[in-house]
Amino acid sequence: MAKDTYLKKVLGSERYNRIRSSKVLMVGAGGIGCELLKDLVLTGYGQIHIVDLDTITLSNLNRQFLFRKTDIDKSKSLTVANAVQSFNYLNSNLIPHHGNIMDGNQFPIQWWSQFDFIFNALDNLEARRHVNKMCLFLKRPLMESGTTGFEGQIQPIFPYHSECFDCQAKETPKTFPVCTIRSTPSSPVHCITWAKEFLFYQLFDEADSTELNSADKIAGETDDKDQQENLAKEANELIELRNSIISKDKDVFFTELVFKIFKTDIERLLLIDTLWKSRQKPNPLQFSEYESELDNLIADDKNTSILTDDTKVWTILEDLYVLRKSGESLQKRINSGDESSISFDKDDEDTLNFVVASANLRSSIFHIETKSKFDIKQIAGNIIPAIATTNAIISGFSCLSGSDYFKVDAKKIGTDFSSFMNHSRTVYISIRPNKYITSALLSEPNEKCASSSLLSRGVLRISKSDVKAQTLGWLVNTLIDTYDYEEEGLSISLGQSRLIYDVDFDDNLGTKLIDINGFKDGELLFIQDDNDELENLELYITITGEGTLTTLPEFKLRPKKEFAEEDEEDYSMEEVDGNRDTIIIDDEEEKAIDDIVIEEPALKKRKVVE
Amino acid sequence: MATQLRLRSAKILLFNLGAIGGEVIKNLVLGGLNSITIVDDSTVKEEDFAAQFFLPNDDSIVGQLKLPLVIDRIKELNNRVNLSIDTSPLSSIISNPDFLKQFNLVIATELTKTELIDLNSTTRKLNIPLYATGGHGSSGYILTDLIKHTATSEKDAGNVLRQANTKINRVKTITGVSYNESDNKETITVLDEYCPIADIFNSKELPNQLNKRQMKRLSAAFPLIFALFEIPRLEDPESIVDKDVLKSTALSVCESFGIPSSLVTEEYLEVFSNQAFAEFAPVAAILGGTLAQDVIQYLSQKESPINNVLILDSIKSEMPIYAL
Repeated sequence: MAKDTYLKKVLGSERYNRIRSSKVLMVGAGGIGCELLKDLVLTGYGQIHIVDLDTITLSNLNRQFLFRKTDIDKSKSLTVANAVQSFNYLNSNLIPHHGNIMDGNQFPIQWWSQFDFIFNALDNLEARRHVNKMCLFLKRPLMESGTTGFEGQIQPIFPYHSECFDCQAKETPKTFPVCTIRSTPSSPVHCITWAKEFLFYQLFDEADSTELNSADKIAGETDDKDQQENLAKEANELIELRNSIISKDKDVFFTELVFKIFKTDIERLLLIDTLWKSRQKPNPLQFSEYESELDNLIADDKNTSILTDDTKVWTILEDLYVLRKSGESLQKRINSGDESSISFDKDDEDTLNFVVASANLRSSIFHIETKSKFDIKQIAGNIIPAIATTNAIISGFSCLSGSDYFKVDAKKIGTDFSSFMNHSRTVYISIRPNKYITSALLSEPNEKCASSSLLSRGVLRISKSDVKAQTLGWLVNTLIDTYDYEEEGLSISLGQSRLIYDVDFDDNLGTKLIDINGFKDGELLFIQDDNDELENLELYITITGEGTLTTLPEFKLRPKKEFAEEDEEDYSMEEVDGNRDTIIIDDEEEKAIDDIVIEEPALKKRKVVE
Repeated sequence: MATQLRLRSAKILLFNLGAIGGEVIKNLVLGGLNSITIVDDSTVKEEDFAAQFFLPNDDSIVGQLKLPLVIDRIKELNNRVNLSIDTSPLSSIISNPDFLKQFNLVIATELTKTELIDLNSTTRKLNIPLYATGGHGSSGYILTDLIKHTATSEKDAGNVLRQANTKINRVKTITGVSYNESDNKETITVLDEYCPIADIFNSKELPNQLNKRQMKRLSAAFPLIFALFEIPRLEDPESIVDKDVLKSTALSVCESFGIPSSLVTEEYLEVFSNQAFAEFAPVAAILGGTLAQDVIQYLSQKESPINNVLILDSIKSEMPIYAL
């Protein structure tokens, strides 16, 4: 077979063979993930695990090329793994996992340790930080990537040799879970995002709702009868509404729109009791109260001046008027045949008016402050859409740069990644007349980064027999022997900063490890040198089978570094650099699982007597 | 909106559906362009399975005409784009103005220098913008002859207001400026002028736009990519380009462009001799993404498109653009 002729030429036989026999993990199967998985499969990676917790929505289809309309509401990870089979020419072994990467039960550290290389294709900071931390624990190389509009970057991370994800403070984008946008908005921006990305998009833009989930298709996707009915109902209503743009006259379209979107849909939300336990219930719009006044307004052409009153915050009546006028105009444009669909553009008055009016109407239903057209234009303009081509380019660089790791024999270098520091590069897309990208050699870890430098990390593999038979005192002595602490010169915290031992608190020394509350698989031990000479140590507890050998990570603790106060201030200044309120819609809905999510090393000690 | 209208009325012709062609078409179809015609008379070869992801996963298709096998899978991405295929020989189309004039924009992938220059002489006559792209393993290029392009965009105004009719460089001119005092922004119109692709191959402009340091840092990918335009495509995908032939060709390319011959290093010669004309999925993704993005840029008329040579060197992670 000569299917891999080119791969052998480009990668070289040795590197290609290493890639063929490697096991890699891709976290995230969205915009970047679809593109990246294609590149990884075509590059011939031996085994690729894919993790995503999300299901596919309509708005994913125009940029996530592995998904089809029939895939809506299906698991992203399972769907991509199936979809790439159509071009899995080199028989990569694809293993999807539907779940949250931060779930320590589904993805414990032993599971992570099987991978040679990890590719991030995520869209939120929390999950990225978690993957970063796991890679630091295991000293596994990580390829970080991200895109926003036309910009994007990749960052290869070689633990403790190059900067880690946390070494540079990240500008926190405002991300919203989908359910906040669709069901429980609480601020103007939620309603504006909904109006622009959901309502407007589904009514006027590319979304091809004519084929969207007919009832029988939905039936194949879920066994839950109620859910089937609900999905079918919503989908059918939306199809009807979109169709009525063409088939019905302007009065009927407008009335149907107002009733479905601002009354029926809200009433349906009200039926879900759990949503409103700690929230104020929305009030569906009572259109009849406004109907006659609205007719009067429409009758007088002079009132079109409302449409251009950009700085006034419109009343509900005025919002209805603007919705009616802009909807009519958009309907006319579609029906004239010049445009088969219309995309939102903040400089296109009809689209802006429609979004402003519907966002404000939704705001008033949910008891949220309404905004002027001028304000909403600013906010809507800063909602950066994901762009398919940017994802394609960044995924290409991610795959390309990731393949560099396999130039060397991992068995020989182990966790000494120093050779990559001379050629591995971060790459940013920055389009200029004389270049398309900017790249830079990797930087050393930031000394002030809590994740990368203040402490050493490793996995404590402790046998079940030792957990049963040995005491905390034995563990203390083992630590002293292994890491050269002074006698009685250390303190140990377990889990979330709970002190179990220090020189003044030796009550537990005679306690068997198994009897120490919380000493279990997946927990963290945090060890500090009381003399402040050695850096901190964080150990991840993994309990191995009876009779296995207990092992501690082999490294020498480095001297602790002191930092001047003003440096700390500099660092915090860097954190506040976002001058624009960038809004990114987060497709993923994250469940925080605090099992092994670790933030800054906890320094506060709390004494607990067993 | 005008942009959307232009996108949805664009009729695009794509030559060759190889690795980069496949990436280009995927991106354009997802982007919702009006109609795309693909011209490719090739049959499926074993090595195509490396990076051409629209091919069915079936070894028995080797030897069959490629386009009829992939067209339905491309259509699946967005059934509102009008896709058509044409498997007549490239040579009969390149020199056929009656066929070419149906299109607003032409994208040529993996053409030879002669084919490219022939095609460009016709697209020039017909006033049709032309993009050309190709790859050599981990490197590749995009060449453009978009004839003339005007882009209008809003920029923050600086201390000194921009003036109309100022030349930014040899190929870019600010033709219009209007200042909006209320938000301190300027609406700027930039005209890009392009030369025929044949002139790119004979350009003496490079030394004029690089300073000493930039010239020293110029990637060897530049002369080597142009050298491979002078060397026939390999018949056998397993074979490699003779290093001595490549070296002497690259040296004469350096001389012609007026760049130092010392650029052509042993490391790059080795890489290019091995990887010449090879397809590689991640590189195809980068070039296909960049090209499709630029086509959308061209049609939207908001920012200037690539003018006129982009080189991808993934050894140094660079994508410089030169105006030749």
